[in-house]
Amino acid sequence: MSASLAPECNEVKERYDSCFLKWYSEKFLRGAARSDECAPLFVEYKACLNKALKDRGIDVLIEEARVESKESDDTWLRKGS
Amino acid sequence: MVKFYTQSYTYDYPFPTVTLAYFLRYPNPFSTHVLSTDVISRSFDAESQTLHTTRLHLKRSKLPTAVLNILPRSLLGTSASSGNDSQAYILEHSAIDLRTGTMRTENRNLDWTGVLSVVERQTYTASGAPLASDPESHTAVSTTVTLSSRLGQRFKRRPTAAAPDADEDSASKLGFFKSWSQASIQRSIEAIGLKRASKSQPNAKEGMKHVLERLRSGGLGAVLEEMRRLQREGQGFGFICWSHGWLRRV
Repeated sequence: MSASLAPECNEVKERYDSCFLKWYSEKFLRGAARSDECAPLFVEYKACLNKALKDRGIDVLIEEARVESKESDDTWLRKGS
Repeated sequence: MVKFYTQSYTYDYPFPTVTLAYFLRYPNPFSTHVLSTDVISRSFDAESQTLHTTRLHLKRSKLPTAVLNILPRSLLGTSASSGNDSQAYILEHSAIDLRTGTMRTENRNLDWTGVLSVVERQTYTASGAPLASDPESHTAVSTTVTLSSRLGQRFKRRPTAAAPDADEDSASKLGFFKSWSQASIQRSIEAIGLKRASKSQPNAKEGMKHVLERLRSGGLGAVLEEMRRLQREGQGFGFICWSHGWLRRV
């Protein structure tokens, strides 16, 4: 499993990743997914990660990239969805 | 000013396997420079059976020396070597539509975007019915890399909302001759970026093929085992970075 940029989040990330990969391969890819079953674990992981992103100032970088992405090519990923 | 790189390729694997490999592609033996991958957001829509994911990759990277040599020292700030031996963040979006059998992805750099912005977009398309387990089915991918330099127009190494944009001010004072040379610097930087992109693309493809092959021969378990091993081996470098505080970016 790939590591988190924040070592303190590795454990919760690993639990989330395991859950996701199981859900993705056994449910989503078979067209049998009805809801994101790993959402509660993601909330936990995200709480840890958000703090790390903020501490390192990366949250600002991500926000700016999102705005930029919207300005130029919002249609790319939304197309067909 | 923008430069493009385009390419098409076909993986001899079914669409579902290719999308799984996409999520599992870092680290792999062809991309050991990827230090970490985090999920920033993920949303699943049951009605349309689509999955949107945003991830953040941290890669060991540096501005190409050729670019560093072109850049005026003043643009690099107080530590002119800060563009070297550093790390770069990549933001990745992916949208998987299971019903139509398409996956659209976008990867863009978050660092040095004023010097060179690199946006890679891919569309993966299933050859037949996306859910069919036909082992003969394959997945086509088309890749476009867009490179653009806005050097001098809006140079920012780091977005700092509070700081006044001194470079923008100085850019407006440029005379005709200077803006002409600015354009030629931008073109040179884009050309260097293009060269780099065309070198790294085959590597990215080999990495995907490697993960796909392991998925076929050993399943998910084999891929995860290798990821853990590469992670352990890569930790030496990670530790050095941490102890030098290189990850403190702002």
